[in-house]
Amino acid sequence: MTSHPGRLYALALSVVVFFLAWTVVAAHPWQSAAADQRRLAVTRREAQLRHEAKLVQRVVAARWAVYRRALRNRRAAIAAAQRRAASASAVAPSAGTAVRVVMLPPLTITRTS
Amino acid sequence: MIERRAFRAMGTDVELIVRGDADDDRLDAAEHEFHRLEALLSRFRPDSELSLLNREGVLAAGPDLRRIVELALEGRERTNGRFDPTVHDALVRAGYDRTFEEVAPEGRAPASPPFVVGGVVDVQPDRIELGPGVRLDLGGIGKGYAAERAADLLAPGGACLVNAGGDIAVRGGPWPVGLETSNGPLTLELSAGGVATSGRDRRRWRREGRELHHLIDPRTGEPSASDLMCVTVVARDAVDAEVDAKSLFLAGAALAVAEADAAGIPAVIVTAEGRTLLAGGLAA
Repeated sequence: MTSHPGRLYALALSVVVFFLAWTVVAAHPWQSAAADQRRLAVTRREAQLRHEAKLVQRVVAARWAVYRRALRNRRAAIAAAQRRAASASAVAPSAGTAVRVVMLPPLTITRTS
Repeated sequence: MIERRAFRAMGTDVELIVRGDADDDRLDAAEHEFHRLEALLSRFRPDSELSLLNREGVLAAGPDLRRIVELALEGRERTNGRFDPTVHDALVRAGYDRTFEEVAPEGRAPASPPFVVGGVVDVQPDRIELGPGVRLDLGGIGKGYAAERAADLLAPGGACLVNAGGDIAVRGGPWPVGLETSNGPLTLELSAGGVATSGRDRRRWRREGRELHHLIDPRTGEPSASDLMCVTVVARDAVDAEVDAKSLFLAGAALAVAEADAAGIPAVIVTAEGRTLLAGGLAA
């Protein structure tokens, strides 16, 4: 190529090709696939964590329900005990224990234990 | 014919009395039961179940300790807290921190303020849990329980009486049981149930001139200032008798007779002034 316009065209074409190549290289096309993989992994992890959080919430809710039931039963038992205590004397009835004072020598003695 | 066996256990004198021909095996078993229960219940043995529970606050306890703690808690509820097994630290503070034979008769007054009594005790089918800072003393009720268990072992051989330092369990009878009153000796005759005496006439000591004793008032955390000297109660078993005797003692003279009469609990009440009162249907 000896003509002057031909050289100019070739130069202009080379400049265009150079910038096209520059643009392509600057876009890092070889990295796009890896970046998608990471995004996918993060998305998967997020979904997994959401799932686990739901499970934990379910377990906590179940335990909370058990605790509230136990608390309700406990309060009912305490209230019943307080009613019993209020209605009963501070000492127990002797259930008809047969005992009397006699004028016999004792076989054994009771004293402060 | 009456057969007797006497021995020391649980820090007191124990007496087994049976009518008829005594079976040595039964007497051996009853004596062994006392030593077995002492090994479980003594607060002075570091390896006892009770000491482990008091140290750790939670224990996979055996059936005997669980049952006794249950009985003690029933007693606490029934007496509106006058009887309370959580007096351990208050007893130690008062000076009863070793076997009674080793407690110094004189000494310095306690420096710390009285302990609050009445903490949480939770008995589960497989364990016992104590609330923070709660420790148990089962000395009195433990003797009553042991007397009942020993009587259960002797009873198949005939009428029997077991006396654990004043806590008495009876099977069959009648049995004349004596007690000291301000008017002299008195004899009660009973054919079933139990007898116990609680008072400040024994197990007492002095700290800087003040007389202290082993009956802690859970309301104050200190040895009771009751105006009674001692109370003897007859009940359906030695455990109930122990609980009721302590409760009536802490009630004081004014309430004790009224409560015993209202509940029909045969009781002999001796005041600190030297009067002897019969209540709960007992008559001289």
